[in-house]
Amino acid sequence: MSDLLAALRAAVGAERVLTRPEELFVYECDGLTLHTGSPRAVAFPRETHEVQALVRACRAHGVPFVPRGAGTGLSGGALAADGGVVIECSRMDRILSLDAEDRVAVVQPGVINAALSKAALPHGLFYAPDPSSQLACTIGGNVAENSGGPHTLKYGATSNHVLALELVLPDGELVELGSATGWSAGLDLVGAVVGSEGTLGIATAVTVRLSPLPEGVETLLAIFPDVVSACRAVGAIIGAGLVPAALEIVDRRTIAAVEASVYAAGLPLDAGAVLIVELDGAAVALPGELARVRELAAEAGASRVEVARDADERARFWRARKGAFGAMGRLAPDLYVHDAVVPRTRLAEVIAGVCAIGDRHGLTLSNVFHAGDGNLHPNISFDRRDPDELRRVLAAGAEILALCVEAGGVITGEHGIGAEKRDFMGLLFGDDDLDAMRRLRAAFDPQGCCNPGKLLPTPRFCAESNPRARGYDRVPFE
Amino acid sequence: MSAGAAALGALAEVGGPDVDLVRHAPVSIDGMQVGVTLRPRDGEALARAIRGLGERGLAAVPIGGGRHLELGNRPRRVDALLCTSRLARIEFEPAEGVCSAGAGARLGALRERVGREGWELPLDAPDDASVGGAIAAAAVGPRTQGFGPPRDVVLGLEVVLGSGERTRCGGRVVKNVTGYDLPKLYTGSQGALAVIESAWLRLRPRPACARALDLPARPRGDAIARAVAASRLPSARACALVGEAGGPLAGCVELAGAEASVLRDAAWLAREHGAKESGADALDALRAAQHATPAPHGMRFRIPVLPTAIEATLAALPPEARVLVYPGLRLCYANFALASPDDSGAERAFASAAAAARASAGSFRCESAPPAAKRGRDVFGPAAAGEIALARALKARFDPRGVLSPGRFAGDVG
Repeated sequence: MSDLLAALRAAVGAERVLTRPEELFVYECDGLTLHTGSPRAVAFPRETHEVQALVRACRAHGVPFVPRGAGTGLSGGALAADGGVVIECSRMDRILSLDAEDRVAVVQPGVINAALSKAALPHGLFYAPDPSSQLACTIGGNVAENSGGPHTLKYGATSNHVLALELVLPDGELVELGSATGWSAGLDLVGAVVGSEGTLGIATAVTVRLSPLPEGVETLLAIFPDVVSACRAVGAIIGAGLVPAALEIVDRRTIAAVEASVYAAGLPLDAGAVLIVELDGAAVALPGELARVRELAAEAGASRVEVARDADERARFWRARKGAFGAMGRLAPDLYVHDAVVPRTRLAEVIAGVCAIGDRHGLTLSNVFHAGDGNLHPNISFDRRDPDELRRVLAAGAEILALCVEAGGVITGEHGIGAEKRDFMGLLFGDDDLDAMRRLRAAFDPQGCCNPGKLLPTPRFCAESNPRARGYDRVPFE
Repeated sequence: MSAGAAALGALAEVGGPDVDLVRHAPVSIDGMQVGVTLRPRDGEALARAIRGLGERGLAAVPIGGGRHLELGNRPRRVDALLCTSRLARIEFEPAEGVCSAGAGARLGALRERVGREGWELPLDAPDDASVGGAIAAAAVGPRTQGFGPPRDVVLGLEVVLGSGERTRCGGRVVKNVTGYDLPKLYTGSQGALAVIESAWLRLRPRPACARALDLPARPRGDAIARAVAASRLPSARACALVGEAGGPLAGCVELAGAEASVLRDAAWLAREHGAKESGADALDALRAAQHATPAPHGMRFRIPVLPTAIEATLAALPPEARVLVYPGLRLCYANFALASPDDSGAERAFASAAAAARASAGSFRCESAPPAAKRGRDVFGPAAAGEIALARALKARFDPRGVLSPGRFAGDVG
C-alpha cells in the first residue's frame, strides 16, 4: 500500500497528501455525522491533471476514491469507503473565467458558492442556486448533489444552471460534456452527471449560467396561528399563478429555538407558524404582486403580515429561516436535518404526521421547510451518546420517509441519497428502476471504484468487482 | 418465403394480442421504407413488443405524432414503427401545477386541458406533436426561452428500456434528487435508450398578459445587438431574428408576465427599437418556420451560439442561407437550399455549418436533410471521442440488442 501513497504523493506532492490518523479524523464524515468512513489518505489536487493522476493511482491499486468539496453535504455522500482515498477539491478554487456579456462563468470545483455570486455582483449578475451552506459549500459539491436552496422555487436547482462540465472519468480519462450554450448535439450527459453524488467522475471545471440581478425584491413575513393555515396560504399563492422567489415556512418549535438564540428575529412566540415570501423581478410588477400575496395570506388566516422596509429588515426576516439550524445547536449536541418532498397540496397533513412521529418517539422535532417546493426539513435534535435516543431518531427518520412516499413524494429534495438513504431507495423504486440506474453508473464506472457504497442500495465495491482490490481494507496504515 | 415476409411474420407475433399490427403504405425514414406499425395498447404491451422485437432480432423506430422523425442519422435497420398513440391518458392536478400524460397524448389536447385551469404547458412544439416525441426530441421553439428547455419541464418518466423492462425515474414533485437524474438522460435521447411510456410534467401559470412585437429589419450587426437587448428584458419569453445570414434581419419578441411589466417593456421596445405590435400567432408562425423542411432538397442545421458569437457565426454562413436565431436560447437555425440532393451540395452545407459552429461553441447538428445527404455522415457533427464512448456504453447497456433505432443516434452512425 505504500506504493499507493507514493503514487498519490507523486501526483500532487507529499505536502498535499494527508495520511496520519489524527489528520484523517476530520474527513471521516460530512455534515451528517451519523455516518462515518475511515479514509486511507486525503489528497489535495489543484489542477485537473493532478486529479487525473490521483484517480489513475487509485485505479491502479484497486482502491476506491471519493471526491469531496467543503464537506457540508448532509447525506454522507462525501465519505470514503473504509481504506479509500478522499480527493479533496477545495484547493481547486479559481474562477477560470467570468464572461459578463454572455453571462457564463467557468470555475474550478472548489470555488465557494457565495464567492461566485460575489465575483458576478459588479456585473449585475449572480449565481442563482443558494444552498443554506452557500458561504462554505463548493460548486463541485453542488454539482455532485444538484443542490437547491430557498430560491429553487423560482430559479431552479444546480442542474438548471450548469451548462458544461470537464469531468475526470473513473478511469482517469478527461471528457468535456455539454457546452457554454447549454446545448449538446447528443445525449444530455451533463444532466446525468449533475446530482450523481460523485459516483460518475470528478468535475474539474464547471461552466455555469449567471443570472441578472432582479430589479426589485420584496420580502414579506406572515404570522399564522398554525402550520395548516400557513400551508393553505402557500397553496393559494401558487394557485393564483404567482411565482415567488421563495416561500418558506418556520414552525412554532423552530420559532422558539430561534428566538432563544443569537439569531432572534423578533418573532412572536405564540405564532403557530411563520411564512416568508420573497418576490423579485420587474420593479413595476412588484407592488401588485405584494398586494395580492398580502390578500391571500390574510384570507388563509394570517394574523399579521409585515413587509421588509429595507435590507436590514429583510435580513432579519431571513434570520428566522437561515438561523434555524444554528439555533438548534442550543437544544442538543446533535442535529439530524431530514430532507424529503411531498406534493404541495399534501404539506399540511404530512407536517402533522411528521410531528406525530416525532412525538411518538419522544423526540425534539421541529420543521423549517421550502414550502413552495413541498420540500420538508424535519430537524431532530438529539444526543448520539444515548443509544436509545439514536435508535429512536433513526426509526422516526424511516417513518417520515415512508409517510412522504405514501403521500406521493420522494425521499430527498436537495440533500441527496448518499450513504444515509441508499437503503430507502426501495421505497420509491423497484428492482428494474434501480437496475436502470446501475446501468448508467456502470457505463461511466464499470469497475465501481468511484464513490462506492453511495446512492444505490446494493453497493458494488471495487473489492467485489476487482480482484486486485480484495483485502485492501486489511492493510494497516504506514 | 422472402426476407420481408419472414420479418412480417415475426412482427405479427411480437407483443401478442395487445399490440395492434397495422400494415400501411411505406413511410420513408431517411430513405428506409417501413410499411408496418406496431401500436401497443398499454405500457405492458409496449414492453412486450420491445422484448419481442429483441428476441427476434428486429428493430423499430419509436414514433408519437411523427413530428420529429427527420432527426437523427439514417437508421441501420427498421422493421417497424413503434407507435405510442394509444398511450394517451392525461392526469392533471391543477392545485399542484403538475400533470401526467401518456407518451401518445398530443400537446394540443394537453394544452387545452391545462389551459382551462389557468396553467400553461411549457413545451414549445406543435399541437400535433406527442408528449413522448417532444420529450424524446427535446423539442424547442421560440418560447423555450421563457419555458426553459424540456429537460427542466420533465419531473418524472415511465419508460420501457431497449432491453424490455418497464421502469420509472424521477417523480411527480417539483423538486427531487432521489437517485440518478435519468429523466434528463432520456430527454433528448430520441428513443435510442428507451421508449417513453408516460411523463410527469411541471406546468407554468398562464401569464396575466402577453404581447408579441415585431422589430423592423435592420443590418445584421445592429439587428443582433437590439435582439440581444430585447431578449434580456425582464418580461421577454421569446425573441427571434429571421432573414438571410448576410442580413438584414427582422426580429420578433414576445413579452409575458404581469401586465405592468409587459406594458413597460413593450413601451421601451417601441421607443428605442421601433417595435410594432404583432399578432398573437406570430410566435406560432416562427415555430412553424423553424420546423419546416427546407424545400426542395434543403437541409436545416442547428448551431448553438453564444450571444457575443452570433455575428461571427452568421458571417461564417453563406450570405443567402436562411437563418432563425434565438439569442436568449443561444440557438441558431440555418437552412440551405440545395440545387439537388447530390453529395457535393450536402458536403458544402456540412462544411458551412461546421465553419459557423467553429465561430461559436463548436457543435452543430443537421436536423433535416435529404436521405442521400445523410448517408455515411453523422448528422450530430463532430463530437469528442470521450462523449461518443460514453454514448456507446450507455446504448450497449440500455439497448443491448439494438432494438431501438439502431444507428440513428450520435456516435452510432451506420
